[in-house]
Amino acid sequence: MSWLLPSALGIAAVAALATLALHFISRRRPIAEPLPTAHFVPPRAVHARVAARAFADPLLLAIRVLAIVLLGAAVAAPIARSSRGRVARVVVLDRSRAVASSQELRDSALAVARPGDLIVVADSAAAPLPKTSTLASLTTTSAAGSLSAALAGGIAAAASIGATADSVQIVLVSPLEQSELDAATAAVRATWPARIRVVPLRLAAPDTSTTRATLRADSNDALLAAASLDGLVAGGGSASPSRIRLIRTAPDSSDIAWARGPAHVLVQWPARAAPSDWGSRPPGTDSVSAVVAGGDAVVGTLRRPWRLPALQSGQRVVARWIDGEPAAIETQFGAGCVRQVAIAFDEHSDMALRAPFRRIFARLVAPCSGGERASRRAGTSSIDMLRGSATALASAPSARLDSTRSTRSPITPWLLAVGALLLIGEMALRRSPRRSTV
Amino acid sequence: MLDWRLLARSDRAYVRVAVDRAALPTTLVVDASASMAFPVATRAKWATATQVAIGLAAVAHADGDPTGLIVPREYEPTVQLTARTRRGVLAEFDRLLDDIDPDGAAPLAPAIAAARTPRIAVISDLLSDADAMLASARVHIARGGEMFLVHVVAPEELDPPRRTLLAVDPERPELHRLLDASARDRYLRSFAEWREHVAAAWRASGAAYTLATTEEPIASIVRRIVTGGL
Repeated sequence: MSWLLPSALGIAAVAALATLALHFISRRRPIAEPLPTAHFVPPRAVHARVAARAFADPLLLAIRVLAIVLLGAAVAAPIARSSRGRVARVVVLDRSRAVASSQELRDSALAVARPGDLIVVADSAAAPLPKTSTLASLTTTSAAGSLSAALAGGIAAAASIGATADSVQIVLVSPLEQSELDAATAAVRATWPARIRVVPLRLAAPDTSTTRATLRADSNDALLAAASLDGLVAGGGSASPSRIRLIRTAPDSSDIAWARGPAHVLVQWPARAAPSDWGSRPPGTDSVSAVVAGGDAVVGTLRRPWRLPALQSGQRVVARWIDGEPAAIETQFGAGCVRQVAIAFDEHSDMALRAPFRRIFARLVAPCSGGERASRRAGTSSIDMLRGSATALASAPSARLDSTRSTRSPITPWLLAVGALLLIGEMALRRSPRRSTV
Repeated sequence: MLDWRLLARSDRAYVRVAVDRAALPTTLVVDASASMAFPVATRAKWATATQVAIGLAAVAHADGDPTGLIVPREYEPTVQLTARTRRGVLAEFDRLLDDIDPDGAAPLAPAIAAARTPRIAVISDLLSDADAMLASARVHIARGGEMFLVHVVAPEELDPPRRTLLAVDPERPELHRLLDASARDRYLRSFAEWREHVAAAWRASGAAYTLATTEEPIASIVRRIVTGGL
């Protein structure tokens, strides 16, 4: 037996003691007695009460104390626990692209996880490991990792099993890449009232293939110049094959097949003819002259002769026109993604050579799910922040988990009902004429 | 007195000793107001009043004085028995008084005024219409009548319980007074001063005042009254 809100028991105990004390020092209304010479008594306020330090009205006291205790117990919400003393564990496995390898992830997971642990897998989002999956079949993904999402998923999972154990411990298995931290990480971490055991994984080696792109375009294409300026063009002597392919023409079957590869990014940025499913705009209506992607924007003579198809599930907007219309969208495609860019510009101008345009361009040819991977371990302070204070508890008492708010005590309604009946009885007893204690 | 006839016949002076006493009709006015039914459990004041009344009636009846009874009532007809000397009057008094349950707050002054006998004995706690009673008594005394007052007081009135209580006047239930330790001294002082004032006023009017507590034996009370002149 444990309590969802043990403090209510303390409050009820204080109230019961106060009631007991009041019964010992109860104030009674003076007893009315006939006295023929009453008019010789000096007139005074007759509503004065008389303190009585004797133990008064034990039946009323018993009812009151019992009602208070029952109501306090009802608010405290007793719940039965079948696993008294048990410490449940939630193992959060970061399987983002920052992990060195799937084998690294599996080995660490098998070493850390114990039978009965709740496994949560996370990359850009977190979810419990499906029952159909096993740790032995775990693989990394091409998605960017998010420690905020991993922590939130782990804390939510811990809260969900809080009622089945006395305390819950979280183990975070992650490469702890700097880019996985964001502004929300500290706030999310602060919601967990105990330490977190952090098991670092090896970081994936910097993959230059993901930062260099293969362009299929005319030799005079302006984008080729922009990519060259930023060193994004993969040379023929590159040791690793490029995982980014920018095509300025319609994709062929080999492009589609290639895009399914792990972490492959097929950027479809037509120079002239757009795919058939893109809508066309009448010429001369390109009044919008700015594009925003992430935190960057480019303003200039930009045209939008096409309209991208409506967003569907699994797609995300990579860049938008200034009026909010998508200018580039990304679609998950197998283990990779296809990015469609509907931005036209005057290739005879120096637009592509300008720094703002090149920053937008870098975002448009970035790896799937946004951003480049820095492949740098988070700082010591950040890791300490994730671990939590050394003085904190190793595991969070289940009573302090938010899940307790949604946990219901089956006994509470009965306790409330009995407490209410006792209060009604107390009121009837108190109002009975033979009692004068108030 | 000198017996003149015997002196003429024998030339010797004789003094004739004889009882020369006229009958003195007496009316007993008994207070049967609610305040006389105190204490509630024993109604000792009413018991004392009735026993004193019977005792005084017995004394008067033994002297051959016609004796009457008036008991004013508020909610019932006034009990009135004209002065008489016949045998059985005491039993009749006892039956009448025994049937009375003190209540209400009937004034006694009209009964005093209505009593036509030269001697009136009033038995009361004086808590209803003391001033009016005194005025009627003065009128009666001024007419040459005799007036006796038996002031009945309970020990619980002289020394009320020391616990705090809400004192309620039985004749005026709306009167509530809180009697606690702080008010007790003032109550005792006020009540004592009032008793002294009443006794002095009645004595000054020419009446015989007797204070009777319910603890005192009835015979002692009657003896004190009789030796006072009844």
